[in-house]
Amino acid sequence: MKTTSAIRFSGLWRRRAKPFRLTPTEKISAVMLVLLSIFMLMPLVYIFNNALKPYQELFNYPPTIWVRNPSMQNFIELWAITKNSAIPMSRYIFNSVFVAVATVVLVTGVSAMCAYPISKHKFPGHRIVFGSILVTLLFAPETVAIPRYLVVSNLGVMDTYFGHLLPMVAVPVGVFLMKQFIDQLPDELLDAAKIDGAKEFTIFLKIVIPICMPAVATISIIAFQDAWGNTETSTLFMQDETMKTFPFFISTLTSNMANNVARQGAAAAAALIMFLPNLIIFLIFQSKVITTMAHSGIK
Amino acid sequence: MGCIILNHVEKRYGKDKLSAVQDFNLEIKDGEFLVMVGPSGCGKSTTLRMIAGLENISSGEIYIGDRLVNHLPSKDRDIAMVFQNYALYPNMNVYENIAFGLRMRKLPKHEIDMAVKKAARTLEIENFLERKPRQLSGGQRQRVALGRAIVRNPQVFLMDEPLSNLDAKLRVQMRTEIIKLHKQLGVTTVYVTHDQVEAMTMGNRIVVMKDGIVQQVDTPQRIYSSPKNMFVAGFMGAPPINLVEGKLLEVSRGALEFHTRKYSLAIPDSQSKKLIDKRKAGRSVMLGIRSEHVHLDPAMRETNPHSQIPGIHKLSEFMGADLYLYAEIGASQLMTVRSNIDQGSRENEKVIVTLDMRKALFFDLDTGENLLHDDDRMEG
Repeated sequence: MKTTSAIRFSGLWRRRAKPFRLTPTEKISAVMLVLLSIFMLMPLVYIFNNALKPYQELFNYPPTIWVRNPSMQNFIELWAITKNSAIPMSRYIFNSVFVAVATVVLVTGVSAMCAYPISKHKFPGHRIVFGSILVTLLFAPETVAIPRYLVVSNLGVMDTYFGHLLPMVAVPVGVFLMKQFIDQLPDELLDAAKIDGAKEFTIFLKIVIPICMPAVATISIIAFQDAWGNTETSTLFMQDETMKTFPFFISTLTSNMANNVARQGAAAAAALIMFLPNLIIFLIFQSKVITTMAHSGIK
Repeated sequence: MGCIILNHVEKRYGKDKLSAVQDFNLEIKDGEFLVMVGPSGCGKSTTLRMIAGLENISSGEIYIGDRLVNHLPSKDRDIAMVFQNYALYPNMNVYENIAFGLRMRKLPKHEIDMAVKKAARTLEIENFLERKPRQLSGGQRQRVALGRAIVRNPQVFLMDEPLSNLDAKLRVQMRTEIIKLHKQLGVTTVYVTHDQVEAMTMGNRIVVMKDGIVQQVDTPQRIYSSPKNMFVAGFMGAPPINLVEGKLLEVSRGALEFHTRKYSLAIPDSQSKKLIDKRKAGRSVMLGIRSEHVHLDPAMRETNPHSQIPGIHKLSEFMGADLYLYAEIGASQLMTVRSNIDQGSRENEKVIVTLDMRKALFFDLDTGENLLHDDDRMEG
């Protein structure tokens, strides 16, 4: 009894062990990838450490990567800059968070609602509509800045959140991604829902969107990064200081500095604050992308 | 109540008026199990989708129950449909999949719960109500798809090749289960398949289609023994019917012989009479005979002395209970014989095949029409 179980165990072990044995090519590529990821991680490590370095450490020579005496001094300083001005920093951060979240919701919603009929309801001219959406990918953002300004100005949404949101809502890449994904849904699925008595919008909300979560997650990441780091709408469409966003505030902070030693710590803290949400959003949605990819087996 | 009437239904695609379905007339009775069969692209699925309301009708009328449903959306037609790829909602578990239709109809929660549990019990899927479709096997998924159909208690079930994605063994099992389910619920069912075995075993009546045109509507027995034309004869039945081209010669008054260069076969009087009435004496026709009406047995030779063909045993297929023997009876012309597994001959030996000419069918060479088909019982 003992021996048979031992044999079975060793057999099991051998079978389990096999997938973990790497071929030489796999070993080399593993080493390469590890090195590459260390290289890619360096700036992140640097941002984290710099934000926590006290002043004297920031200007150490030779510069160090790791912080020796971590402190919150930089954050306190950043907060202190706006202490005496009319608009506190929290206002900028609020604006940024609100605009970024609203953009993500709007962009994913609009992209999906645009892609669904193009993909599944072949209305006359759907090719032309899709083609013209793709063509807009060709224009550099700078070329549309002036027309965009005119549109926003004529709509009378300057100095409102709409001024932040409207220029960001149309994302051709989002429509494209969504359409490719919805194309993969079998028509029978939608037919089945139709026979089950679902209305068009119910089908969209209860079936199309949940199945297309990977695309939604990807678009969310793209939209969030665009919106969070965006200074263009604040520069062009906002004259009112209370409507401007955090990245704009930071750019004024750093652009006035030139080679100035002052406020370097605050800038480092601001860089971390700018970076963290991107990381968090990416980590949240990235795991979502992977889990939903895993059960994309529709059949 | 659950009857379906199709009245001159047509489906045309595009500007060039390519017909997918032409002049489809049929009355499906309440509680009937009707099978539509044909090669792919014959319009059977399109017809089903027109009944379901997933496809517009170019012209004609469709009634379900007493209602004209031409312009009624699918959800108001009181139908349920089962698809080939199951079409389960991958984001919902089995319970939600089955309950979805009821939720859309805004039934109270406890009623939905009762209905789902009852359907699950009928189909024996109670144990995986919490699972997602991807965690189920093909057979289980198809059960869930059936559950989604029966839970709503519709007037009509529409099934579009529901068993095609299953492996052979499971297909046979699910086939009997669908038949059982139909007997139990007695709901009118329209079933589309390209598999003639499914059609024969499941249907009360079969509709054979080709190129958008209905070829024949009849019971499985009559479709098999009295096909309306050469296409139906060739499509239904495995192994396929034997077809031989030859000439009808009038050897004496009222007696015909099927004649080829190599052999002549006497045609029984009743058949001769019909063929002469149709003025086919002296014309070329196609003889069709099913493999079970071709014999190697020497005893048959004595009773049918004038319907024998010498041939060479070319190859044989062992099917378990039977043996399909292919005998070469002319230049590259093989005749399939369904024989006992212990028949005597070996490959490349000479054999004599005896045709049971009473069961022989004759088809017009140009139209493919069965010349012996009694037209009084055409469409149901």
